[in-house]
Amino acid sequence: MTGNYRLIENRELQETLYHYRVHPGMDVYVLPRPGYQKKYAIFSTRFGSIDNRFRVEPEQEFTVLPDGVAHFLEHKLFEDEGGNVFDRFAALGASANAFTSFTQTSYLFSCTDNFEESLGQLLDFVQKPYFTEQTVQKEQGIIGQEIKMYEDHPHWRVFFNLLEGLYRQHPVRNDIAGTVESIARITPDLLYRCYNTFYHPSNMAVFVVGDLDPGRIGCQVEENLAAHKHKPMGAIVRQYPPEPAEITKQRTVQELVVSEPIILLGFKDMVVGDLQGRDLMRREILMELVLDILFGSSEALYNELYREDLIDENFDSEYTAEINYGYTMIGGETKDPDQLYRRVMRAIAGFLKEGVSKEQFERHRRKILGGYIRRFNSLEFIANNFLSFRFKGTDLFQLPSVLQEVRREEVLALAEENLDPDRHAVSLIVPPKES
Amino acid sequence: MQADYTYHYLHNGVRLIFMPTGKFKTITMGLFLHQELSPELAALNALLPSVLEQGSRLYPDYLTLQRQLENLYGADIGTDIIKSGERHILAFTMETAHDKFLGENGRLLHDGMSILGSVVGDPLVIDGAFREDYVRQEKNQLIKDIRAMLNDKISYALERCLSLMCAEENFGVYKLGRIEDYDKVDAKGLYSYYRALFARNPIDLYVIGDLEQKQVLEAAEKVFSFSRNGEQRNLHDTDIMRPVDQVRFHEEEMSISQSKLVLGYRTYTGYQDPLYCAMLVYSGILGGFPHSKLFMNVREDAGLAYYIHSRLEKHKGLMVIAAGINYDERDRAREIIDRQLEDIVAGRVSDAELDNTKRGLLNQLRSKQDSPSQLISFHLDSSIGGKTYTIEELTAGIEAVGRKDLKAVAERITLDTVYILRPVKGGSN
Repeated sequence: MTGNYRLIENRELQETLYHYRVHPGMDVYVLPRPGYQKKYAIFSTRFGSIDNRFRVEPEQEFTVLPDGVAHFLEHKLFEDEGGNVFDRFAALGASANAFTSFTQTSYLFSCTDNFEESLGQLLDFVQKPYFTEQTVQKEQGIIGQEIKMYEDHPHWRVFFNLLEGLYRQHPVRNDIAGTVESIARITPDLLYRCYNTFYHPSNMAVFVVGDLDPGRIGCQVEENLAAHKHKPMGAIVRQYPPEPAEITKQRTVQELVVSEPIILLGFKDMVVGDLQGRDLMRREILMELVLDILFGSSEALYNELYREDLIDENFDSEYTAEINYGYTMIGGETKDPDQLYRRVMRAIAGFLKEGVSKEQFERHRRKILGGYIRRFNSLEFIANNFLSFRFKGTDLFQLPSVLQEVRREEVLALAEENLDPDRHAVSLIVPPKES
Repeated sequence: MQADYTYHYLHNGVRLIFMPTGKFKTITMGLFLHQELSPELAALNALLPSVLEQGSRLYPDYLTLQRQLENLYGADIGTDIIKSGERHILAFTMETAHDKFLGENGRLLHDGMSILGSVVGDPLVIDGAFREDYVRQEKNQLIKDIRAMLNDKISYALERCLSLMCAEENFGVYKLGRIEDYDKVDAKGLYSYYRALFARNPIDLYVIGDLEQKQVLEAAEKVFSFSRNGEQRNLHDTDIMRPVDQVRFHEEEMSISQSKLVLGYRTYTGYQDPLYCAMLVYSGILGGFPHSKLFMNVREDAGLAYYIHSRLEKHKGLMVIAAGINYDERDRAREIIDRQLEDIVAGRVSDAELDNTKRGLLNQLRSKQDSPSQLISFHLDSSIGGKTYTIEELTAGIEAVGRKDLKAVAERITLDTVYILRPVKGGSN
């Protein structure tokens, strides 16, 4: 039985997390939250849209997937011989859902009653695949509608057009749901092949949060996995094509019905492939500081652009770092994308010359700390982000200590290396020309 | 742990609702001013929070205000305009991390509330007017926001359907008002409107967090000390009884790939109605959950849509069904949708559908207690709807809904407007 656990404490947040390692090699985390009615559980696998070329030791040959398989599989797990999985959660009063990102697929539920039964359902349905020709075919229609919905979504399109402009090879340039053509190539066999690889517990993790007893949960998960009798599996070898420093296309323009143009600038990060764990988190925090000091609402640039009517309050900048890729994106809706583009590029150049004052650095550091604490009101935030960081080899609870550790002197060097004008691209959505 | 609350009236008549609870990491405050929704006043109402947030007497510009907030550990001030039933609510919120996680000693309540109070009650005024340039700038931004409704096709289609359906009612106006009304607003007029509103309209102030009542009351009295004169205005109730003579159909074209179908219904069942809980259960069975009839039949069985759901506008007594479909399949989709409504009228609802929907609603209801903003909006509903339910009362109400009640509300549901936003003819499907 699971008597063994490790405690992860966070002094700033006054939280204690219980970590269990259950056979055959899955991490289970339980965060007690006294006083909360809601309980939330998430069960994730490291299988996202970018994992489209892999083999399992000792195989030699790689399996290559059409785009959109991870997301398709997520949809299909909600159906088994017994029918629709949503019904079983509904009978328990629990609300279930799932999502697929570039790097992971997650299944989740929240409830206020019947937690243990619901957790049992979650663990069971994710461990029980059921794919037939007929159910796969029906899903192609539903996902076809999902793809069409996103085709009409300008903020989604501007984002993927930018990724296509930035990346030449890396599969992050492909839409998570794939295309109507690529999902037409998905078969039950292919789904089983992926399922049997990526849904082995050693590639997965569980996070549970709520007013709960950690010991009971640890045992429940362990017993549940034991009943499914998982055999040991070789290591998964994922292959990503080498990504050159050069971008694909400097400027991409698409016409869609919008009230005014939308612009997104992106910078491709070439260092992240070598980083993980605390080092990767450190880079993320430093980039968050860089972008907040450059483009945040408390700094001169934002206020000038707003007064000149070049941006609205949704103007934003964000850095994303995964083990395999990373990028910075800056932009929003604007009446004059060329002017906004020039101002952003000029601001970056100016920043590298002028640097950061001590007052600025400390003020933005405080802001990040306060924002971090506030987000801990949300059980979903904690669980989802904990597992994302876990899959990147680090721990969400480390964030305050890394934040205290970073130094002002590091900011400039990182900005210079990472916001390199040679690796930037622009994506634009513009209203259709009057015909 | 139930987040209970207490009422207090500040000397100027502002109602303070204090919810002491130790479970959050934050101190959350919100000030909500209630006004009637009307096409004529909507632009003015929408402008006020935006202009006030640009700067106050103490923090005269946006940059200064934002820096002050950053020094307060990135405290977040938010302004918004809420349309709910035929109420228009000016919203001002403030959230800070709680002192106990930062080694601070109780100053965040006071400092956070002071900033909120400064923005709401102590604006930057020059010669009896707001600053011209701030007003001009925010008019511009809000007009852009109105136009930007177009960018999200799903919510655009929903707004179009509601505005066509309620074109002759106050509810028909968009929450940001009409573009043409912005031209008429000037800095002086807006300031006098502000004075009139804050003098007499009802104001609710919420404070949630691990706090002592005494310190909250003292801080609130000190900070929200703007004077209010005369009697508090009584706002009239939302009209929910408008009859439907015949169903109206609207089809609009846009250069898009997926058609958005929106069906608008009258429920004739408002927040105070004895059958309000039955209405919640009805919409839940029909289209509130993944186990609901619409999702199971239109999506899972027929594979016609990725999203399909029904939602209530509880204070206006409306229900909308929305789906993204292929234009060519619209008749089949409508047929299946109609059949689901007929099934409920005819009593074809399984025990599982009824029980699971109740459980799902109770889960949503109880979960509200774990979010400060949901606690506030739950309580605001009582101000808007003119009836206070506790979570226990609603729980009991939902549990008690029987098949007879369900049939009774199902028979009230009347289709009013069918709206389709479709791809341009001759374009791709």
